[in-house]
Amino acid sequence: MRSSGRRALASRILAGLGLLTVVGALPWLSQRDPALSVLRARYSELEPTPEAIASVRAELGLEGGPFAISARWWSGVLRGDLGDSWVSGTPVGPGAAQAVGVSATLTLLAVLVCLLVAAALVAPVLRAVARDQPVRGSGPAGVAMTALPEFLLASGFLVLFAVFLRWFPPYGWTGLETAILPAVALGIPAGGLFGRLLGDALAGASRESWVDVWRLAGARRRVIVPAVVRRAAASVVDQMGLIVIGLLGGAVAVEQIFAIPGLGRYLLGAANAQDLPALQAGVLAMAGAAVVIGVVAGAARLWLLGGPLPAGSVAAPPERPHGDRLAQWTFGTGCALLVLVLVAGLPRDPYAIVHGRLEAPSWLLPFGADASGRDLLARVAHGALGTLVPALVIVVAAIAIGLVLAFIPNAVRGPIEVANATPPVIAGVVIAALFGPTMGGAAAAVLWVSWPPLASHAVALVEEAKAMPHVKWLPLAGVRPFEVMTRHVVPVVAPALARHGMLRLPGIALALASLGFLGLGAQPPAPEWGRLLAEGIDYVERAPWATAAPAATLVLVSVIAVAAASLQGSQLPRPPRDGREKPEVQPADGVSA
Amino acid sequence: MSAPVLEACGIGAAYGTRRRPVTALHPADFALHAGESVAVIGRSGAGKSTLAEIVLGLRAASTGHVLVHGERFCGAGRTPHAARRHLVQGVPQDAGASLPPRVPVRASIERALARLGVPGDPSARIRAAADTASLDPALLERTPRRLSGGQAQRAAIARAVAVGPDVVVADEPTSALDAATSAGLADALLSLPARTGGALLLVTHDDALAARCDRVLTVRDGVVEQTR
Ligand SMILES: Nc1ncnc2c1ncn2[C@@H]1O[C@H](COP(=O)(O)OP(=O)(O)O)[C@@H](O)[C@H]1O
Ligand SMILES: [Mg+2]
Repeated sequence: MRSSGRRALASRILAGLGLLTVVGALPWLSQRDPALSVLRARYSELEPTPEAIASVRAELGLEGGPFAISARWWSGVLRGDLGDSWVSGTPVGPGAAQAVGVSATLTLLAVLVCLLVAAALVAPVLRAVARDQPVRGSGPAGVAMTALPEFLLASGFLVLFAVFLRWFPPYGWTGLETAILPAVALGIPAGGLFGRLLGDALAGASRESWVDVWRLAGARRRVIVPAVVRRAAASVVDQMGLIVIGLLGGAVAVEQIFAIPGLGRYLLGAANAQDLPALQAGVLAMAGAAVVIGVVAGAARLWLLGGPLPAGSVAAPPERPHGDRLAQWTFGTGCALLVLVLVAGLPRDPYAIVHGRLEAPSWLLPFGADASGRDLLARVAHGALGTLVPALVIVVAAIAIGLVLAFIPNAVRGPIEVANATPPVIAGVVIAALFGPTMGGAAAAVLWVSWPPLASHAVALVEEAKAMPHVKWLPLAGVRPFEVMTRHVVPVVAPALARHGMLRLPGIALALASLGFLGLGAQPPAPEWGRLLAEGIDYVERAPWATAAPAATLVLVSVIAVAAASLQGSQLPRPPRDGREKPEVQPADGVSA
Repeated sequence: MSAPVLEACGIGAAYGTRRRPVTALHPADFALHAGESVAVIGRSGAGKSTLAEIVLGLRAASTGHVLVHGERFCGAGRTPHAARRHLVQGVPQDAGASLPPRVPVRASIERALARLGVPGDPSARIRAAADTASLDPALLERTPRRLSGGQAQRAAIARAVAVGPDVVVADEPTSALDAATSAGLADALLSLPARTGGALLLVTHDDALAARCDRVLTVRDGVVEQTR
């Protein structure tokens, strides 16, 4: 136990140092010669002679290897100097600070919305706990809220409330009325997720035996409900931290859609201009915010639990009863619709410009034409392949990585924490700034952020499975550790992981689409759902169908994947519920005292 | 007195983090001799299960080591060698926890015999073990989930005994059972040293049961001492 603790610490330190070095050395990592682009941007009259480039290199502080560059940048940061923009030549610090201020306000408002949404979702669960009625986890409302990603929701809000209804201004950052739509678009998915996690944790905590004991001992609602809430909150407080960090990432798309001059838009601008000092400043601000949120979450957990607990000692949420007629029906209908779109659209040509610009839908052109006069049905169908296939590859890769890494839990703790705290858009922004925007880069960015949740889930599940008495005592029957893992732990853990992976498929497809939407993924003229939506939304007033076709498909995929996840839950064998097979669970000290 | 079957030399346990280790068991020394039964008593949370799991080699000790027949069985940072696993076997507190829940009892025991490389005719061994544990042989064909608590505990004893261990460690084997069942089970357990010639380490919080053992070790807040 001692050496494993040391390994976890070493892993964290290495991951942290690695991250610091990489951030500092971003200009070096960049594939193109920055000196050349700066030379072109600033001194267009100069010939790009070797001498001229060398002098620009020296001016930019680009001499030496990655470590020298990184060390120089960090020493600048410690002196409060974030460097000069490669584009404008002026210091990047003030602009970044302004953007941070805007984003902090937006994030606080979004957290407020998130808490309201979560409270509404959790209220029925709490009522059931208080009345000692059978407690089920969160219901379909939470699922529905998390199904749509921020960029889709924000686009929908923009179109509905700003363009058609004109209740709110469509863009800008001039007062509360410009902040409401963005904050709601950010807060709803986050609140849905938080409400679901908390609801499931509450259901799990309310089923622990100490609750029955307290009830039998005559404890009142006023005593039991806060204790259950505290116990449940302790188990989701870390995730709440991650959700808030995720908000920072979601804010990139939302800020872009509503033209809010926050950190996300700042980063996106830096990536598009390949202005690496500005990118570094933005990433540093994001990382700083993530660290602050992580520390707050850690402090909250300590306070809730009254001390550090070994991993795996907090009850896992019970599995919700899944799989009803509705899910089957939804899944079947959704797949049929998608297949219909594919069958009808794949034979058509997504690139030919043969129709009128923004031609309205008709029998021959069911989805209408886009702004260049291309067949939207064909583009949506081909876009399905371009989005879903990479997403599936990412899911499978992430599960495989998670299962392998689950067997060296302490060594991967640091990378998991670092990667876990990276919103996909941020990874996408950095990769695009370094290597230019490509589908492969977007997929790598999404994989980088998709493996950690699966890996840490795998680590927790494996620890829990190993603690089950009949697994713990297996060595007495001569079962070797390797076999304990492969025959007794992995089979118990794999269905849950596969289910988790399927649950994440829409998120992953939508993360890819979101990068495409921001111009960080597949490039035109390739059809990709995010791009299609971005291309269509500019014409939403004149030709709503150009937005509706890709948006409807994205919503359809979200619905299918959510239904698939709940179907899978009902079909796979679950460990039996009788007491003797459950790992021993004791209430946290702070609760039982 | 003859040489002990099992010797615990300064075995201790800690959990928590490296910076803030919490001691679950202070270094303890004791010995078990062939044919004797030794009770381990103490309040809940005193460290009895921790002690039992270390002796069984299921949990790594943080200090010390365990000798069986004078040879190192397990110790700090070392799990027992596969070839010596059969020497120390156990009966858990949870009825049926030592048996995979979805495998018939007989199949589990056969697999354990094969894995541990126990010589001899498996079915004869299983029959004898079921007899020792007073388990109705018909129940061997059931899965642990279809056994009652007492039956599952007898199956667990049969599984442990079938391997032919020199030491059997039972961790509160009767605490989940009703009085009548637990009395029958206690008789079966306490008869083990006489019938098999091995040693029995019986963790219990039942003083009456402890009184029937040859010696008693008391665990108080992780400190082990012989009280009788
Ligand atoms: N890995 C662990 N994590 C947390 N607490 C532990 C761990 N191992 C032992 N303990 C603690 O050590 C004490 C002794 O546990 P145990 O040996 O199970 O007691 P007993 O069997 O006597 O009731 C308990 O307070 C228990 O909570
Ligand atoms: Mg115990």
